[in-house]
Amino acid sequence: MALLLDIATTAALLFIVSAGLFVIFGVLKIINFAHAAWLTIGAYTTVVATKMGLSPWLSLPLAVLVGGLLGAVTEIAIVRPLYRRSLDAILATWGLGVVIVQVITLTFGRDMQMPPALITGTVDVLGLPYSSYRLFLLVAAVIMALAFVLVLERTRLGLNAQAVIMNETLARALGINTSRVRLVTFMLGSAIAALAGVLLTPLSSVDPTMGISWLIGAFMLVMVSGTSVTALALACLCFGAAQVLVSTWISPILGSVTVAVLCAVMLRLHPKGFARG
Amino acid sequence: MTDDRLVIEALTSGYGETDILQGATLTLRRGEILALMGRNGMGKTTLLKTVMGLIPTRGGRVSLDGVPINGKPPAWLLAQGVGYAPQELPLFQDLSIRDNLRLALRGDRDLATALKIVERNFPFLLERLDQLAGTLSGGEQKMLILSRALMTEPDILLIDEISEGIQPSVVQRIETALKAEREQRGVSILVVEQNLGFALGVADRWAVMKLGQIVDEGACDAASRETVLKHLSI
Repeated sequence: MALLLDIATTAALLFIVSAGLFVIFGVLKIINFAHAAWLTIGAYTTVVATKMGLSPWLSLPLAVLVGGLLGAVTEIAIVRPLYRRSLDAILATWGLGVVIVQVITLTFGRDMQMPPALITGTVDVLGLPYSSYRLFLLVAAVIMALAFVLVLERTRLGLNAQAVIMNETLARALGINTSRVRLVTFMLGSAIAALAGVLLTPLSSVDPTMGISWLIGAFMLVMVSGTSVTALALACLCFGAAQVLVSTWISPILGSVTVAVLCAVMLRLHPKGFARG
Repeated sequence: MTDDRLVIEALTSGYGETDILQGATLTLRRGEILALMGRNGMGKTTLLKTVMGLIPTRGGRVSLDGVPINGKPPAWLLAQGVGYAPQELPLFQDLSIRDNLRLALRGDRDLATALKIVERNFPFLLERLDQLAGTLSGGEQKMLILSRALMTEPDILLIDEISEGIQPSVVQRIETALKAEREQRGVSILVVEQNLGFALGVADRWAVMKLGQIVDEGACDAASRETVLKHLSI
């Protein structure tokens, strides 16, 4: 039972961490290597909020706000001229990530921060005490996935985003403001990444480079998922399960690279990954 | 008030370092259907894309009711009442008929009214709104493309090779719909075509494009077919 819960909550965590990168890659077709920095910024939002005496829960909307605003500035100032130069976009966002890490280091130092957790303690699941926070992550991931589907299927922004994904020239010919769709998408992706950073804080050390350890896994999961939310959820579940099993039965060190390795193998054998076709 | 609605003067544009349009000059008048013909690669589609702001203008001028529109984005042109039915990848194949139609509107508030306009010409689309556009037959897809362009009730309509690869009965339905729109609303229509029968059947005037320039034009009459054929022959 504990193993099943570990698999489900690990998959949820992977989904939460990958979601922001997925949104940006799905619509804009660029890999935002500043994703790690957004995760870190989100975590430090919790640090700042709690140092100011605010409830750690308030850091959730604060991180969304900070992430969204920084995302807007980044899209307009850095990413917008590079949509047709995807390699340059990767380098530029990587560089931005490095700068952000240095700014955080200068501001907060290299020391590990320990902000209070959103939820502490355990709950009984069929007689087994299990971390309340990990179960909370499971609920958060399900809400996030449902919100994705709802926005994509039921809102005008979602419809416009689908049109841009499928055929940007036609979308533009129909009068859709594709620049605005890109800006809003980048803001959303950045906001979700910052939110993920807040959610990571009880599970991960908060230091200036904390996001980097999550970046490769998130990147590989997005690569095997394409533009499908279902594919991302499936990838997180399958590879999250593999990570838990390898960590439990073989070695936690090997477990930490399982997701990246399996994604690479999958891309070699089936380049479309979990995406349809 | 002049009858000239869309005036294209010495228009130059292209891709990369190549100029496809090399000084094209053409006028679309109020309430007329004008057929622009020419062999493949002569610049007909490029002309429409340039007018719609999808390709930057390199020289010349395009004006709408006397107002220069060079460099205006498609959204602006659509708001001014210019409709466009493209030829290349013209539908979102994985979206439903309803969503394909919705995307031509800026919001869903006007959808009910717009669907009534669709019903006027191609009522079968309303019975299959949830069907994916990619599962429609070639002719049905063309009718959907035209419906999407007509449902915003444009004053000027640019149509790119709508009759390509479809059966005569569908071509006839499209011709009827275009004539009805012109009769009922006085819409000015520029049809880019290779189907001579359809083009000369639906249009009031014709023009022929060669190597990025308009080389001849005239009114549609008994002699038009022969004249145009001479231009189109290799």
